[in-house]
Amino acid sequence: MTDEREITLTINGTERTLEVEPRRLLVHAIREDLDMTGTHIGCDTGNCGACTVLRDGEPIKSCLMFATQADGSEIMTVEGMEDLPESDGELHPLQEGFHEEHGLQCGYCTPGMLMAGKALLDENPDPDEAEIREAISGNLCRCTGYQNIVKSIEYAADELAAQPATDGGTAAVEPGSSADVAANAPGTTGDADGPTAADDADGSDQFDGYDTEGGFSCGVENCCGGPSTDAEHHGDNA
Amino acid sequence: MKAAPFEHHEPTSLSQAVSLIESLDEPTILAGGQSLVPMLRFRLARPDTVVDINGIDELDYLHEADGYLKMGALARHADVEDSELITERYGSFADAAPLVADPQIRNRGTIVGSIAQADPKGDWGSILIAHDGEVVAAGPDGERTVPIDELFLLPYDTSLGENELITEARVPTPVEREGSAYHKLKRKTGDYAMAGVAARLILDEDGRIETAGIGMTAVDITNARAADAEDHLEGERPSADLFEAAGELAAEQSNPESDEHGDASYKERMVEVLTQRALGDAAERAGVTKRRVTP
Ligand SMILES: Cc1cc2nc3c(=O)[nH]c(=O)nc-3n(C[C@H](O)[C@H](O)[C@H](O)COP(=O)(O)OP(=O)(O)OC[C@H]3O[C@@H](n4cnc5c(N)ncnc54)[C@H](O)[C@@H]3O)c2cc1C
Ligand code: FES
Ligand code: FES
Repeated sequence: MTDEREITLTINGTERTLEVEPRRLLVHAIREDLDMTGTHIGCDTGNCGACTVLRDGEPIKSCLMFATQADGSEIMTVEGMEDLPESDGELHPLQEGFHEEHGLQCGYCTPGMLMAGKALLDENPDPDEAEIREAISGNLCRCTGYQNIVKSIEYAADELAAQPATDGGTAAVEPGSSADVAANAPGTTGDADGPTAADDADGSDQFDGYDTEGGFSCGVENCCGGPSTDAEHHGDNA
Repeated sequence: MKAAPFEHHEPTSLSQAVSLIESLDEPTILAGGQSLVPMLRFRLARPDTVVDINGIDELDYLHEADGYLKMGALARHADVEDSELITERYGSFADAAPLVADPQIRNRGTIVGSIAQADPKGDWGSILIAHDGEVVAAGPDGERTVPIDELFLLPYDTSLGENELITEARVPTPVEREGSAYHKLKRKTGDYAMAGVAARLILDEDGRIETAGIGMTAVDITNARAADAEDHLEGERPSADLFEAAGELAAEQSNPESDEHGDASYKERMVEVLTQRALGDAAERAGVTKRRVTP
């Protein structure tokens, strides 16, 4: 066996020191060493997102990181939600949303969904549906079909917006700090601002009408099941 | 499954990392870990030593300098996605970043790690091909640059030496009348490409194509260059017919395998379509006005 190393994590606001082998995954350290089993493990491949936690505020998959790599950082898991000011000692508006809108069935994916939702709302308090779907695109749910998960996050956004901005509340993030993941989407980028070569030329010089915007959409919302927003912004469904 | 035990090093400077890597027997570099950690868990990789480069702050950059867009070994997918410089000047990079994996993985995974992984399904390799990019490798004999065409050998295999690490990936900064784009077909959000095409065009003052670059994802044993299509484009004026012909040539040069996502002929057809689309966007971004022709 290799040497153990001492690391310090601030988990949900509490500093904890633990001894881990270098090969110990962060998710195992959280579940087994710290005994916080709210964070789930759903796959071996980094695909499912059930293990999503916030590391220094950023969502990451804790099964794709060694515990030693999280040394010195702040980790937030689902167990920390009730202690947030916007929860007022009870369910966090996101958790309330999942309850009210039936955002879960078996609950396996839920802790990861909550963390992905939290990261989104911290950055962008008023996300549109495409932004919500983008934010949870790394989280798989076998049960719900995602519709109600989206509604749950919308519910939380509305709740948080309705809350009075209390002192020190993390709920009220300045509007305009939005990450705008989907809105930033490509297709709007110009690479060079040089003169347009064809401007002064005749029609034969012009790029004659190839439709590059040809995203395919079958017209049925969510027919492919996944939290996909691609058809709208990348036209990559050839 | 758990990774097999390994010895773990965390250098905090590049020079430290280089001498460590030189002194160790077959060290494995850990960057974002988004590909390596699963490989260790499945024990597809069983290194004795892992050198974690995440503490080397001097490798964390994404900027333009000396005529290049330079991405240090710790530049993450999310850094590219969030960069205004990229949004303003690098169409293909801006197209690709939000299409790589998912938000959590983009927060950790690096551009350089993705290139070093040499997965034919990786997106960044194709973009570097389209842009005639290169990587900078540091090793016991100092630094050398490796053109991207000389880097990929086989799936998951590069021409890097055992005691070398990549410090930077870079592409030339755009000139006037340059445009680039990336199009990717995938089964669902967050997936690797079923097929992907990166295109870059530079036009001359007359509006003819001076330089064309096309890189293809997931349709050969490595990220691949569509050289015949590039040759066909150079010297010509952008047009739908021209791009259609280039698409056909790219498809001919691609070498996809049939799998559960589609058979080879379907993927070849997709290469054709994606090439046309990527060229169309690249041309527009290079300043060519798109004209709707009514049949
Ligand atoms: C679910 C999932 C979906 C994904 N989808 C996509 C996708 O759609 N498109 C895509 O392109 N990628 C995708 N990836 C891969 C992801 O982009 C990885 O981040 C990337 O391939 C590897 O980067 P990394 O920084 O995590 O490297 P690591 O996992 O740390 O390393 C990968 C390999 O490169 C080597 N290496 C890393 N850095 C260096 C260096 N500086 N010098 C020399 N060798 C080095 C390592 O030793 C290792 O062999 C996906 C991954 C997952 C888990
Ligand atoms: S358990 Fe981490 S992504 Fe599935
Ligand atoms: S509620 Fe069952 S996996 Fe999402």
